[in-house]
Amino acid sequence: MKKKLICMVIFITVMSTLLSACGGNKANEATGNAGTSGSATPAGESEKPLELTWLNILHTASPPTDVVKSKIEEYTKSKITFNWVPDASKEERITTALASGELADIVTLTMMTNSSVRSSLKSGLFWDVGAYLDDYDNLKNIPAEVRTAASIEGVLYGVPFQKNLARSGLVIRKDWLDKVGLAVPTTLDELYEVAKAFTEKDPDGNGKQDTTGFGDRSDLRYSSFKLLSSYFGTPNGWKVDESGKFTPEFDTPEYLQTLNYSRNLYENGYLAKDFAVTAKTDQQQQFAQGKTGIYTGMVDIKNLHDLSQGLQEGMELVPVNKISNGDGKYRVWSEGSGVGGLLAFPKSEVKTEEELKRLLQFVNDLIDEEVFMLMTGGIKGTHYEIDADGAFKIIDLEKWQADVQPFASSRPSEVTFSLKDANPEKEMSNQLIKENNDFAVLDPTVPLDSATANEKGTEMAKIITDASFKFIMGELDEAGFKEAVESWKKSGGTQIIAEYEEAYKKAKQ
Amino acid sequence: MKVSTVAAARQIPMEKKKPTTILANLKRYKLLYLMIFPGVLYFLIFKYLPMGGLVIAFQDYQPYKGITGSEWVGFKHFIRLFTEPTFFMLLRNTLVLFAMNIVLFFPLPIILALMLNEVKQRHFKNLVQTIIYIPHFMSWVIIVSITYVFMTVDGGVINELMASMGFKKISFLTSPEWLRTVYIGQIIWKELGWSTIIYLAAITVVDPQLYEASEMDGAGRLRKTWHVTLPAIRPVIITLLILKIGSTLDLGFEHMYLLLNSLNREVAEIFDTYIYTAGLKNGQLSFSTTVGLFKGIVGLILVIGSNKLAKKMGEDGVY
Repeated sequence: MKKKLICMVIFITVMSTLLSACGGNKANEATGNAGTSGSATPAGESEKPLELTWLNILHTASPPTDVVKSKIEEYTKSKITFNWVPDASKEERITTALASGELADIVTLTMMTNSSVRSSLKSGLFWDVGAYLDDYDNLKNIPAEVRTAASIEGVLYGVPFQKNLARSGLVIRKDWLDKVGLAVPTTLDELYEVAKAFTEKDPDGNGKQDTTGFGDRSDLRYSSFKLLSSYFGTPNGWKVDESGKFTPEFDTPEYLQTLNYSRNLYENGYLAKDFAVTAKTDQQQQFAQGKTGIYTGMVDIKNLHDLSQGLQEGMELVPVNKISNGDGKYRVWSEGSGVGGLLAFPKSEVKTEEELKRLLQFVNDLIDEEVFMLMTGGIKGTHYEIDADGAFKIIDLEKWQADVQPFASSRPSEVTFSLKDANPEKEMSNQLIKENNDFAVLDPTVPLDSATANEKGTEMAKIITDASFKFIMGELDEAGFKEAVESWKKSGGTQIIAEYEEAYKKAKQ
Repeated sequence: MKVSTVAAARQIPMEKKKPTTILANLKRYKLLYLMIFPGVLYFLIFKYLPMGGLVIAFQDYQPYKGITGSEWVGFKHFIRLFTEPTFFMLLRNTLVLFAMNIVLFFPLPIILALMLNEVKQRHFKNLVQTIIYIPHFMSWVIIVSITYVFMTVDGGVINELMASMGFKKISFLTSPEWLRTVYIGQIIWKELGWSTIIYLAAITVVDPQLYEASEMDGAGRLRKTWHVTLPAIRPVIITLLILKIGSTLDLGFEHMYLLLNSLNREVAEIFDTYIYTAGLKNGQLSFSTTVGLFKGIVGLILVIGSNKLAKKMGEDGVY
């Protein structure tokens, strides 16, 4: 393995030197469309379609068929060659692609905190598009906050993916709530009672104590822990006070409260015993099989229901996100402040400003309602329909999954248009996600840059993640956790704090 | 070992000729050199040439800038590696697992091979051999998944069995105390049978006359094994041991990566997993090259050292 890794690194090195010399000319051939500044109509009537390659992230098991793709190509006057990277392996694939220079005309970058992504953005690998956005009808509508959040040191290295500010939330078994006689929780204490009742009061009525309140997985961020922590009022990532002093979230009393809360859940068996080694799909299966009653991730609500078919008849779900720590205020953490990543254009592939402008036009066209509907629902009448109430309904799920679903996560904007979902549970969760905008907690460091965090922030984060897991599972006490925080500070944390404070001051000026 | 003696024998007549310049040598053995040429070329192009890339261990390598454009930083990454507390954790974990591997796993295939050798029924022996080879062909993903199903706290077969017998459940998968046991256990399960192949092959070439002679002297099965079979396969054992020592720091990435989680990291993180997370996932190519280079150098020193030691003790060594 050692040799393999060394070889790989070397291979990457050699390839990158070779490839940087012979970067693609694909876009070159298809231009001739010099200086098309943004008009609403898709560019170019008589000329050849724009040929482009797109290194994109795939969130489904298999890439989409050509059905919808050809429609998108028709509308945007382009010919797209996708290079799909499965989401699960995006870290190594994107890092390797960046390192080897094997890029495409458009590169989807979603891991904005990843040090390799950050450093390649900063190294000038991609075009700075900040000055061009206002020339395009849809792109100019990207709000200033989103542009700021997506920038690194004030430079915007790509078109930001616009997402809802915060998408996290709980899914609770409504039928179980009714069975144990509890209302939808609104405070953390009530939520604790629900988890307790789901575990002890036999909500599935089979006479056995074989259910657990909270299902969870080996992920502190995208599963329940971070959500619970924002209910407690923990800052999202970092706290910054009036004087510009930065405190990491795990150095706040609220974080410790969350740890204790989760620890209580775990010790009493209200939190799945194996959560630290459970994968997402297993967690969903457990929920669908009626082993657990609370799931974190509102966006999955429909998926969970579909999974449960034939396993848990009569399952009713309710999305929940208005939970306070008792002060009546709601909070939920925001992922990337509404930025889902960047659509970036590498200089090695996109050689000239004209090519860049043509590609921006293409991205701009993707936001048009026609393409948005193609990428969301597919072809009307084939994949979806709008019913009498104006609600959106997928009519052929299998076809939709094969033709459309993979595109859904590639939409440059998920907020420009909104659909009413015919599924009431999904519609409820959509509404809640919209309401999240009002009480989303932003991470102040999203637009800031720290060299130390770039270099070893991910490595250092492990210290805290590991200590948190251990604390929840009762293998570490508060003093032990404090020690871990100290060790984080010693291994570079103090420097990170200083660098963020510095960057914050600069940005404020 | 034999090859080297043959080569030595060949050199003798060559030395008698007075002007043994390289050119004359080339001319004289041109056919032999021609035959070795593709092999040498292969090693040069695919093994030695890429080693040039190791220079990025002394740079702050930026893919976009390339090797020529990146900044030289001297031993910065080495200093980081040796001063970070993780380094000692990695070294300790790697060495402990290696020691366990040598002590607990290494002798097992020898014992098994000796036992198999005593099986007189040929069909039965072949059957057993075939069966014990099978696990080797399973990937680590499958083996770790099977273990996972057996060992989870909620519904794992082993834990449920223990609970029904009145014992306390043990979280094998998340407790640091169990990680090494599980790790070595899996290696034994997977590789034991396969590792017997070389020993069995070595045993087959033992001169039957030796057995006959020892029988004459009244040796029983145990004595024959101890005084005839084992000494006969000793060179093979030593060769394998040296090779094994050479790969001390090279425990293999896949297996441990699958077992690793937040709760057992303190004992489970080894150099291979660290290189993966630091280098490939976080894109710190220079730093992970440094770690890889360090591993390679240590491996080289250990192979040379143990080989010297073996030769001192009168064994053949690997080269």
